[in-house]
Amino acid sequence: MKKIGIFDSGVETPEEIIMAAGFVPFRLFGDPTIQPEKANEHIPPTHCIWTRNLLELAIAGLDEDIVGIVSSHGCDRTNREFDIWLECLNYKFMFFLNSPRKRDDVALKFFIDDLNEFKDQLQDTFNIEITNEKLKASIHKMNKIRALLREISEYRTKYMLKGSQFHALVKKIQQLPKDEALSLLEIRLKDLKASNDLIAKEMKPILITGSDIDDTEIIVLLESLGFHVIIDDLGVGTKYFWNSVNENEPPVEAIAKYHLSKPILSTKFPSYERYNVLENLAKKYEVAGVINIAQKFCEPVLYDHPYLKKKFKELGVPYLFVEMTYNRESYSQLNTRFSAFAEMI
Amino acid sequence: MSATEKSGKTQHNKMLNATQGLKNIMGRHFLAIEQAYRDGKPTAWATSGSPVEMLYAMDVQPMLPENSATVSAAQKYSQNFIELAEAEGYSYDLCSYFKTNVGAVLSNAGMAEGGTRKPTFMLSTDVICDTHVDWFQVQAEKFNVPHYSIDVPHVVSNTTNRQYNYFKKYVTEQLYEFIEFIQEVTGHEYNEEKAKQVSENSWNLSKVWQDIYELRKCIPCPISTRDTFGGLFPLFTMPGLKEPIKLYKRMYKEAKERVDNGVGALEKEDFRLMFEGIPFWYNLKYFGQLERWNAIIVYEPYTYAFSKYMNPKVTKEMVLNKPIEAMAELMLSFWYVYDLETRIKKFEETVRDWSIDGVLLHNNLSCRPNSCGMYDLKRHLMDDYDIPCLIIDADMNDPRKLNETQTLNQIESFIEILRQRKKA
Repeated sequence: MKKIGIFDSGVETPEEIIMAAGFVPFRLFGDPTIQPEKANEHIPPTHCIWTRNLLELAIAGLDEDIVGIVSSHGCDRTNREFDIWLECLNYKFMFFLNSPRKRDDVALKFFIDDLNEFKDQLQDTFNIEITNEKLKASIHKMNKIRALLREISEYRTKYMLKGSQFHALVKKIQQLPKDEALSLLEIRLKDLKASNDLIAKEMKPILITGSDIDDTEIIVLLESLGFHVIIDDLGVGTKYFWNSVNENEPPVEAIAKYHLSKPILSTKFPSYERYNVLENLAKKYEVAGVINIAQKFCEPVLYDHPYLKKKFKELGVPYLFVEMTYNRESYSQLNTRFSAFAEMI
Repeated sequence: MSATEKSGKTQHNKMLNATQGLKNIMGRHFLAIEQAYRDGKPTAWATSGSPVEMLYAMDVQPMLPENSATVSAAQKYSQNFIELAEAEGYSYDLCSYFKTNVGAVLSNAGMAEGGTRKPTFMLSTDVICDTHVDWFQVQAEKFNVPHYSIDVPHVVSNTTNRQYNYFKKYVTEQLYEFIEFIQEVTGHEYNEEKAKQVSENSWNLSKVWQDIYELRKCIPCPISTRDTFGGLFPLFTMPGLKEPIKLYKRMYKEAKERVDNGVGALEKEDFRLMFEGIPFWYNLKYFGQLERWNAIIVYEPYTYAFSKYMNPKVTKEMVLNKPIEAMAELMLSFWYVYDLETRIKKFEETVRDWSIDGVLLHNNLSCRPNSCGMYDLKRHLMDDYDIPCLIIDADMNDPRKLNETQTLNQIESFIEILRQRKKA
């Protein structure tokens, strides 16, 4: 089945529209075992290493079933780099989705316009028809996936599912054809319901936030140091399934509202509202600490960090901020800081 | 090699006499800010690229912290302020304007040091960068003042006209909403007549600046960056006022006299350069060193960009009669942040029209939106149009990030390439 590649530093791409067009929404992830070389001929090395990594993979050649790319408005990097992707890749469908920075009624109207444009360009490029019925069916399917993910996520709280296992699962769901994703989730949930296995209870429950982390090995590293990611604020995580699309509203409008009502990303305004979500999560899941992980040069997260630090200090919840380089070889450098934090909490 | 180069002696660069008036004009701007405080008049911080005209039209005194940050740099305070901000947790990799402002506020710096007063409200937009929005979010929270942000959709190389139209609608609606915001915060009403007057002044100011730039096409070039780097400030701090128009007209008149008499800013002009990016405000003298090779910068997209009326769809009639719609159109077509395809085309045209020998591209470590795409821009200019380019790594406000000697050596080698090309 043909796919539309998604280059998104958050999770604001309307997968339902891609599905209704007859394609598999396929989110692009990086590969932290490689170094950007070709990408460095296009983007200075002082820019986000994660987006350079994605460009490197794209130049080398993406999944052969991919027939087009959509990039969603994220930070300055993903926005400006779209033109470079246009330079480097040769797909007949390349769309930049301007998911708005703001979330009010004016922004909502604009987002609906932009989603309709995305839909129209898909139709025009591939000579297909995206009907409301198809959109509603896709929304229904995605809502089922989200509901299952929400339910499975709670097994982290019951210490029956590792954070790394859940992270790997969400990542997989963002690339699989959605029927397969649905079956996989149903089986996983059934297994969890039938299981009595507990992961080590003495692990320290933490909340992680920051740049979108797409390498599960970071979570594995945290677990090896005694942490349990009981909850997260990530795109490869709760932001992907936080709520559901209203199935009783006109589909495109409902999709727009869904994305603008999710917990706000650091790339949006006012990003300080992130703290309210984080505080609620920290309290609800009784976390022992919060770890905020910024990819090197990830400006939106770097801007928010001092505010989050101040607020968590006021709240009395231990908070650790680290900058990481998207390269597995460099992860060991984080060991010391993570270990010291584990000692502290 | 000329005798001047052999002796290593720098030629005198003739700044326009009229440019000396800039100090007075900017002094009046800062006095107006002080006066607004004394009178209890509303004030607003605004980011560059935002519709400052609307503030003047609604009798709100604008302050531009970016302008203040350049003052800090020129007065050699910026590094200290930046380090103070870093001690607060703001990364080494974040914008040096932002950190200069954070440090200046923490230090209670006066205006002469690049300090800024607490405003009645803040106005930001992401037209140039995300940093502007994040920066004002940080400071609005600190000062506990309202903050209005205008979200400007990102125009990319394959944006269609159909998309552009609803982008414009989105920005326009926000601008009308911003008027309501000002009314609510200040109690000031929107006055169409005043808006028209401000718009006309802004148009006239920009047009004179563009006329000055037209004179820079002449060989020898009558004006150097000594006039333009500082000369740009009224464009983004005082668009809508009459005083800076008079200054620019004096600059134009004097430059025209030079052109008429065949006099250039340099005694001898061998190389004509373009400089892309924001200059090093902490070391403007650095650019004077180009004179040792009889090289002169004749065009800077950055200083030209702020004379915003260059979109042919935005006529004077539109600016006067539909200022909000015109502003929305302009915010979507700002020279400094053109999409890559337009940027390449515009650079090529500019190089041709201004008879430019080579392009210096500032990979500004503080301004990633500007430096993003620079490598492709360079490659296209060199490969497609045979235009020599040099990328230099530095920072606009953080002196720690400029390696003076190394950069100068790079420029010297670049000039040598230009010299060889001329000989060929």
